[in-house]
Order: sequence, then structure tokens, then C-alpha cells
Amino acid sequence: MIFSSPYFLFLYFPIVLTLYYISPLRWRNLVLLIANLIFYGWGEPVYVLIMFLSIAIDYSHGRIVTRCKAGGNDRGARMAVASSVVFNLLLLGFFKYYNFIAGSLAAVGLSFLPVIDSLPLPGGTIPFTLPIGISFYTFQTMSYTIDVYRGDARCQKNIVTFGTFVTLFPQLIAGPIIKYKDLDDQLEHRDHTVEKFASGVQRFTIGACKKVLLANALGPLWDVYLATPSAQLTTLGAWLGIIAFSLQLYFDFSGYSDMAIGLGRMLGFEFLENFNYPYLSKSASEFWRRWHISLGSWFREYLYFPLGGSRVSRGRMVLNLLIVWAATGIWHGASWNFLLWGLYWFVWITLEKLWLGQALDRAPVWLTHVYGVLVAIVGWAIFAVEDFAAMGPYLAAMFGFGAGALDTDFLYYLRNYLPILAIAVAAATPLGKNLWHRLPERAQKIAFPVLMLAGLVFTTAYLVDGTYNPFLYFRF
Amino acid sequence: MSKQYSIFITALFCLFTFGFGIALILSPSRDFSDQENRFLAQFKAPTLDTLRSGKFMESFEDYVTDQFPLRDQWIQLKAYSERALGKQENNKVYFGGNGTLFAQFQVPSEEELEQKAGYVNKLGANLDVPVYFSLVPDKSFVLADLLPANAPNVDDGSTIEKARGLCGDGVTFVDLRNALAGRNDFYRTDHHWTTLGAQHAWEALRAGMGLTGQAGDTDGLSYQGLSYTQVSDSFYGTTYSSSGAAWVEPDSIYTVIPEGGTRGRTTVDRYPEGVAIPGGLYYPEKLEVKDKYAYFLGGNQPLCVVKNPDAENGRLLVIRDSYADCLAPFLSEAFQEVHLFDLRYNNTSLKKYVADNGIDQVLVLYSAANFSTDQNLFKLGL
Repeated sequence: MIFSSPYFLFLYFPIVLTLYYISPLRWRNLVLLIANLIFYGWGEPVYVLIMFLSIAIDYSHGRIVTRCKAGGNDRGARMAVASSVVFNLLLLGFFKYYNFIAGSLAAVGLSFLPVIDSLPLPGGTIPFTLPIGISFYTFQTMSYTIDVYRGDARCQKNIVTFGTFVTLFPQLIAGPIIKYKDLDDQLEHRDHTVEKFASGVQRFTIGACKKVLLANALGPLWDVYLATPSAQLTTLGAWLGIIAFSLQLYFDFSGYSDMAIGLGRMLGFEFLENFNYPYLSKSASEFWRRWHISLGSWFREYLYFPLGGSRVSRGRMVLNLLIVWAATGIWHGASWNFLLWGLYWFVWITLEKLWLGQALDRAPVWLTHVYGVLVAIVGWAIFAVEDFAAMGPYLAAMFGFGAGALDTDFLYYLRNYLPILAIAVAAATPLGKNLWHRLPERAQKIAFPVLMLAGLVFTTAYLVDGTYNPFLYFRF
Repeated sequence: MSKQYSIFITALFCLFTFGFGIALILSPSRDFSDQENRFLAQFKAPTLDTLRSGKFMESFEDYVTDQFPLRDQWIQLKAYSERALGKQENNKVYFGGNGTLFAQFQVPSEEELEQKAGYVNKLGANLDVPVYFSLVPDKSFVLADLLPANAPNVDDGSTIEKARGLCGDGVTFVDLRNALAGRNDFYRTDHHWTTLGAQHAWEALRAGMGLTGQAGDTDGLSYQGLSYTQVSDSFYGTTYSSSGAAWVEPDSIYTVIPEGGTRGRTTVDRYPEGVAIPGGLYYPEKLEVKDKYAYFLGGNQPLCVVKNPDAENGRLLVIRDSYADCLAPFLSEAFQEVHLFDLRYNNTSLKKYVADNGIDQVLVLYSAANFSTDQNLFKLGL
């Protein structure tokens, strides 16, 4: 199920809210757990089994780690952590990377792994597809056992409570990636105040508008240029296309995070922020502190620091960075271009750590902003053009080696998308927020419900027409 | 936010979401959308099978969007909003000048065109009678001046130029481009040509097929002294349906040749299911429904034969799409029998049909858009 759909917004969520709030406090996690499973099973019912498996394995491993630690058996505890990590990585590896690995091996003549098209089940087969959100929830559950071992999180003895954490629907399929230790207390006890609910409404509406009114509006422009044959790509056209994609992905992804945070608040949860105006970044390193914050922090905490981070020799640090960025890249999808995209970021971030960072510190601020945004946008071309045969020509066109500077189609698309592009660029900066805070409180009080209703009304109109509403994270 | 204000915001949100949710459940389902000209998805109760396969979920999602309260109004609001944002298109329809709507035209690939033209050539080789081939240029070619500036995905005439070049020896190509270009020959809200457009095409076809007999008037306002009569002023076509452009005025439908033809003896046999049923050139009852273009010959059918004992030429077989519906009255002025054959619904062997019915000439007539997308043209070559 996805948030930006009429059946979610007008049926599923109102029903869940009603059941949730008429239930006594101690039953609310159970209500949520059931709601989560329906939410997850909506797209591929059989994959709910993965949820049960995930809950059972991570729950029991958490218990084993705790018991071993209590008994002074550190080796046993470490084994349990390792076993949990291996299980989660196997789950992710099988569903997400198996066919990629098998296909890549076959491409170099090593076809001993058969490509899997369908999974046999009692009573028939189902197509072998990537379970939605698997990259998000396997990372969340992995962090649980590790944190229990590290003593950063308490062991959860109630399997319903733990299941609620694993399957929590607002952030199940597109993040933010929430660590158990950040949610621990809230799972046991959370405040349900009307103030929190109203702020959740606000946040959700903003997120829905970002996704439906901005991201979905810009997507078709990118689709045009993605589908343009390489030989016809012009320089300005290629830039227009990739800028549209850069904005589409940002508003789509951060819109989802906003909706998740908003829905969470309506259910009494407080999730951490996931985006912080990434296109304002003045460097590659800063971009990753502002973009998909929960993913960057996960890799830092559970991969980069355990490898030694930067408190090691220079050569080892570069190796650590290489590992982290290769992993970050391939996390985004089982395809070589995502690995290349990760390595692209590795190069910039390593350069910045070695000497470029100091140069940037001395450079004029406007130049560092241009640098930051360009690094991100060029990176998106590697990210978004999955086909290597098309990626090279696309990048070449961006840098002037295409079919000329511009074509007549470009003039049409620019004329048609300029208003929405201008709105999107402005919305990618804190401009709107700053203007809002300058308004007198009285004006805010009147403008807020008006804007909110307008946002909901236009979102509904675009959803009901529903011609273009993609889910971009099916590969994650 | 104060507590009271928070309650107000919360109530507003809940009113909106719960309100439309409850309205969706309580309001009766519509079968058909006049505005969109299609059947709407209905609620189907889940079964264990459809739940397991996920089919229920898919159909439920369609049900919610299709039956959403005030669906037509939401779609119109989106179209208005797109226009306000400076967009010149919505749902793959261009907003052209004078309230003219253009469905986007996908230029077919060379291979596609070669394949389809190959079928026509094969038909020419298979038959002993003259075979003519003609394509109706897309509205975006004919009314190019009304398109938004620089609009991509339009017909620049190259499709017809290529098709013409691909014609083999056994087939005579009749080019309609000059007869139509720049003339006001299409409905503003529909992809079809108007009766006037059909008349202009008919003049070009007559010349291309070397027919003798009385020529029509060229001023475009009358046909052999008969003037055009308006039969409807409220036609919203299919392009309008997909555009959501509620601000566009409806089209008028005109006819010029009366029911029964100019000499009063024209009859029509419809073959909806293989058996002849008497019909007519026009179906006034169709003017009361949404799809008013079916006024001409009553809409899609596998075969329709128009007979005019007073005509000078013999029997013409037209292998065609819906554009021929309003051309048929003109054709029947010149031919004693016009057999309108739709490959989409008719699997009869063409070779056999031509022999069995004593056909004298064959015309393959498609719109450029349908010709490049229709998946039934291979039947031409069988």
C-alpha cells in the first residue's frame, strides 16, 4: 500500500485511526501490528510471511543476546549478533541481489546459478519480486540486535510490541530507517495529544503535496528525456531532464518521509528527520548529512565506525570509505549503475577529506553551493540512467557532446514546465518556511487551515485523476 | 498551537478524510462515465483466491479511484489547475487554439510502418482487382497552426510520406494531405474528421481512383447543391474525454447527404453478427448519448454494406476504421455497393470475400494513428 493513493487516505487510514483510538492503550500496539500487516500484505499477501519470519528471528536473537550477556557469555552473545546479521543479510541478499548476482555471473560465462522467476508455494507459484521495503526493515531489525548487544537498546520481551516496531506502517516501505533504540520508549508508552495529532496533520499534508503536486508533476518531464534516444539528446535538454529528476526524487522521497513523520505523530510517535534541504549543500559530505539522513547515519554507526572510521591511517580510511560507499550505492538497487553511483560519491567525499574540503573552505560561498548542487545532479544521471549504453551518452550530452545545444522539443518542455520548476526550486529551499515565520501569528492562524484544505483538495484532484503516480523505491 | 486550535485542525482533517471515505461507501456506484466515455470499475467482493493473488487489491484500488465521490469534478479541477500552471497539455492531450484539443500522435517506427505497408502490398498481390491505399492525416497535421508552439508528438506528414514510398506495384496510393491540410476538417473535441472533412477527402479519393461522374462543390459549404444541416450542437468527443478540459465548447455535427442518399434509393445492411439487418446512414438516437459520432452508421461493426442502385460504378470494398463511417454516404453516391469491412471484428478471408461478392475495387483506408497501432492489419496479407 502506498500513502499517496485514495484508498489509503480515505479508507485505510481513517479506519485504522478509528480502531486505534477506540482501543484501550494496552491494545493499541496489537491494533497497529494487525494494521501494519494488512498494509504490508496489500501488495503481495504472501510476503507477509517474511514479516513473521523477521519478527520471530530478530525477537529470539534479541532474547538470546540478552541471556548470554546476563550469563557473562560474551562469545555466545557475539555469535547471536552475528547470526542475526547473517540472517538479515541473507534475507536481503536472496530477495534483492540473488538474480543480479546470478545474471552477472552468467554474463561472464559462469552460469551455475539459475535465474529465479517464481517461487514455489503450496498451492501454486508466485512471481519472484523484490518484497517492498525490504532494504528498510532488514536494516532496522539488524540495528536492534546489534544495539542490544552494545547495551544501547533494551531487549524487548513482548513479541507484539517488537512486531509493531518491525512492521510499523508509516515508515515500513520508504523510511526513515528507524533504529530500535530511538523508538524503544515510545513503543512502551507514547503520548497521544491533540497538539501532536494536529502537527502530524500539518506534516502529512506537506508531504502529500510534495509527492503528489511536485514530484508527480515533474516526473513526466524526466521520463521524456530518459526515453529520448541518445543520438537526439541535446545539452540543454539533458540538463532539463536531469534537473527534473533531481527535484522529482527529492520531493518524492522527502515527501514520503514527511508523510511518515506526520502519520507517526497522529499515532503518537515521534520519528527523526530524514531530509534537511539537501540542495543547499556546499559539499558532497554535507549533502549526505542532509539527504536520507537515516541511511547515512545507519551506515556510519553500523559499518563505518566499526571499520575504524577516520581514526585510522589515511590508507585505511580511504578503504573504509570505499567499503561504505560501495555498500551505500548497491543498497539503492541491484544494478551496476548504483554501485558506480556509490563509487562516484566515494571519489568526491574522499577528495574532500584529503584536500578538496580545505579548498572549499576558502572558496566563495556561492561557488561552494554551485559545486554541491552540481555534484549531486551529475550523480543523479548515473543513478537514474540504469542502462550503461545510455548513461555515457547522457553524461556526454550534459557536457556538450550531444546533438547540439537545444532542440524545438526543449522549447516546448521548458515553456510548459518552467512554472512548476520554479515552484519546485523555491520549495527546495527554506524560503517558504522563512516567509511563513515572518507572518504575524494571526495571519498564520487563518492561512494554515486554508492552505491545508487547498493542499488536500488539489492532492485529491491529482490522485483521483491518477494518471501518473509512480512508486520510486521498488528497487531499494 | 493551542489545544483548541489543534482540535480545530484535527477536526478539519478528519472531516475531509472520513467524509469522503464515508461518502464513497454510501454513494451508489456509477456504471458508466459519460465524461470519460468508459465503464467504471465496480466493487467486487473478495474471495480467498483473489485475496491470495492480490487481484482483489488491484480491483479495489480501481474501484476507489473510479467511484470516488465527485470524480468528474476532481478531474476537471486537475485540468484547470494544469492550465493555470501554464501547461499546454493534460493527460496527453494538447490544448490548441480556438478550443481545439489534440491527442498526442506517436510517430511510428520505420519497422512498424514497413511491416504494415507490407501487409497492404501483399493484399495488392493477392487480388486481381485494383487496390487503393490511403491514410487520413492526423488532426495535428491538418490543423498544425492551432497546436501549441513547438509541440512534440505530432504528425508532421512524414508517416504518410513514408507509407506512400513503401507502396508496391499492385497498390495505388491516394494522398489526402493536400486535400485536408489547413482546412477546418476535424472536430475540435474529437479525433475524427467532420462530414466536411470527409467530403474533402472524397474529392481527393475520386480523383485518385480515377472515378468519373459528378464532382462535388469545392467551396466546402455544400455538396451538389445541398447545404449542410446541423444535427447536434452538443458533441463532446473522445479527445475531450481524456483531456478533462471542461472549459472547451462542444462541437456541432453536420450532415449534407440525406438519409437514403441524394437519389433516395440508398439502403444499408448492417451485419453485427453475420446476418443482415436493415439499417441507415444515420442514427439520430445516437445523438442523445455521449458517443455521438456513432450517429454515422451506428458505430463499430464487423461489416456494413451500403447499396445505391442509381450509382455509376460497381462494388467497392473498404477495409477501414471508424473514419469511414461518415465518408460512407459520399462513397455510396458513386458506387452501387460499398462494403465496409472492419478487420478488428471480422476474420473473413479477404480474397474469398472479394471473389464471393464480385468486388470491383478495394480501398484500404485508415487514419495514420490507427494504421501504425492496429494489431489486425496482418489479416490483409492472409
